[in-house]
Amino acid sequence: MAAPPTLVQERLCGACSHAITAQAWSADGELLAMATAGGELLLIDFRAGCEEWLRGERDCSLDVAGFSADDRFLMAAGQDGKLLLWELGGSGVRPIAFDPLPLGGHWLDAAAWQPQGSLLAVGAGKQVRLWDGASRSLRPESQELKGTVLALAWSRDGRRLAAVCHGEVLLWSPDDPVQAPQRCATGSAGLSLGWSGQGNLLASGQLDGSLMLWPDGGAGRGWQFRGFPGKARALTWCDQPGRLAPLLAVASADIAVLWSQQDRGAKGWKPEPLVLHEGRVHAVAFAPGSSLLATASGDGTVGLWDGRGRLQQLLEGDGQAITSLSWRPDGRHLVAGGEQGQWWLWPVTLPPSVRSRPPSPGGFAP
Amino acid sequence: MASPRDRLPVTVLTGYLGSGKTTLLNRILTHEHGLKVAVIVNEFGDVGIDNQLVIEADEEIFEMNNGCICCTVRGDLIRIIGNLMKRRDRFDHLVIETTGLADPAPVIQTFFVDEDLRDELKLDAVVTLVDLKHVEQHWDCEEVQEQLAFADVLLLNKIDLVDVEACVAIQQRTRALNPLARVIPTCQADAAMDQILGVEAFSLERALAIDPEFLTSDHDHEHDGAVGSVAFIEERPMSYKKLERWIDRLVSERGPDLFRMKGILRIDGDSHRYVFQSVHMLIDSTRDRPWRDGETPSTQFVIIGRDLDEAALRAGFEACVA
Repeated sequence: MAAPPTLVQERLCGACSHAITAQAWSADGELLAMATAGGELLLIDFRAGCEEWLRGERDCSLDVAGFSADDRFLMAAGQDGKLLLWELGGSGVRPIAFDPLPLGGHWLDAAAWQPQGSLLAVGAGKQVRLWDGASRSLRPESQELKGTVLALAWSRDGRRLAAVCHGEVLLWSPDDPVQAPQRCATGSAGLSLGWSGQGNLLASGQLDGSLMLWPDGGAGRGWQFRGFPGKARALTWCDQPGRLAPLLAVASADIAVLWSQQDRGAKGWKPEPLVLHEGRVHAVAFAPGSSLLATASGDGTVGLWDGRGRLQQLLEGDGQAITSLSWRPDGRHLVAGGEQGQWWLWPVTLPPSVRSRPPSPGGFAP
Repeated sequence: MASPRDRLPVTVLTGYLGSGKTTLLNRILTHEHGLKVAVIVNEFGDVGIDNQLVIEADEEIFEMNNGCICCTVRGDLIRIIGNLMKRRDRFDHLVIETTGLADPAPVIQTFFVDEDLRDELKLDAVVTLVDLKHVEQHWDCEEVQEQLAFADVLLLNKIDLVDVEACVAIQQRTRALNPLARVIPTCQADAAMDQILGVEAFSLERALAIDPEFLTSDHDHEHDGAVGSVAFIEERPMSYKKLERWIDRLVSERGPDLFRMKGILRIDGDSHRYVFQSVHMLIDSTRDRPWRDGETPSTQFVIIGRDLDEAALRAGFEACVA
């Protein structure tokens, strides 16, 4: 093993030419990918200390990017409706591009790799398609929804997949084709979807300014919480267990709302609005391994909050709206991207008020 | 939130099948108007031009509130325009083509209802193409009437294929249905670009222009269920409170039938004029500029909708005189 690199400390920001739409870390925390509305895809290799533009500027935007759970593949997709894939050979090895896979001409903006598995789920119009890293091919079958797929999420164990469109969430097990998909009515369009570890709760943030929560992986009766100041555009679950359920943060208008379950039943969920930002909150993300929450806003700042909703620190870029956030899997480095293409990487020291477990192995030591 | 000046203008293009939408789209995309125009189409096949700013979308209607017609929006537009706005530097006007059989209301409502779109875009105009040669055949089609009723600009297309009398007759018919739209006869959809893009028909600051003849003439009463319009003119000052109450009750009782309303209001005790517009149940009004010297302060009020009872509406309107 090479010595832990020090590159992060040397280079804390950089620029793409267009708005950053997605940022993703490899599971080992050595690679960082960034996609932009100008179609660029930047891959930064921290261990080798180099960066490569896997895609240059073009007329079609990229809107999602992500690494497979085993770090063997990188995917990106966007406006031109083609799924882009690269095979990765680890740090210092140039990625090999697959031929772009056309998925029907729809603008692709929902895709997610299976945790602990090799599948990649992609929303293509009203269908969810699966690309299998084991066979390196697109599975012929697809799951149909009654409307355009707006968001996708895998359960933490990678067994269940959820997709949301206007009116319903569909849940199924891609590796168990016999079992019929389960449908949960939502009454609105879901914009963000997330599955908790503890309790196996599924959350859907909705266009009508409500939040839906289903216990037991969607099997239990759903709860609906209203009263958000705008659409519930983004959400994130904390990976640290709570007394009954983990913390959930939901972005809506200029605030994030921190939800905690203090008692059983719908009334047991308590919201705590995090009021700070003076522009739309575009992204929320809990640091892996702790209850530290980051919120990114159109006012150009990133807020860092502890698990009780107390502001710990305010990070500032250069004024441009911050539209994207991603924690390194070690939970000690946060990358943020702006609407004019600037990105920042901040080493973060956990405050004492934040519960934590040791950082995941493979990450470089803080 | 973008200031009104920075908001991206949007033109909605409607028209029955075969009315010339594709011709007009191709003209917009190739014309040297100095604007970078992004176009959202239903099918790529529609436009013959390879252009990265042409985006395909499926018309997907989201019901926001238990199926109320006034709360339906185009969900696909929310998603696609949301993505597109991250590339805002690449274009400066957006054109949305609807399918020939689409009701334009959900598209219009999307720009008033969705919080992101409302802040970042502004509706410029609804441009409706009318096929002069064939419009008589499908005049009773609900979608055709809605497309005519919602128009800010009506292009009476294919003027080369009909005689003058037929053209005049259709022009009068469309006028009776929608006295607010600007009517432009065209051949091959050859309207001047500045009559289609940058119209600012939804801007409240822009005075509404009602054909003076329409305000004075008597109209034929159409059969039940038909789309039509009524217009009132009143020189006596109006009570703002009474008008507000009347309009609120009107849209809550008749919202689905009231396609569009526009008005310039003379309010009792105010030196400024007020301007007002609505799309179904969405209402927008503002205190505008002072009445000018030489201008006779008066209230002009136009309602376009289905099954309008002119006598009852007139009584309700006149009861709002201060």
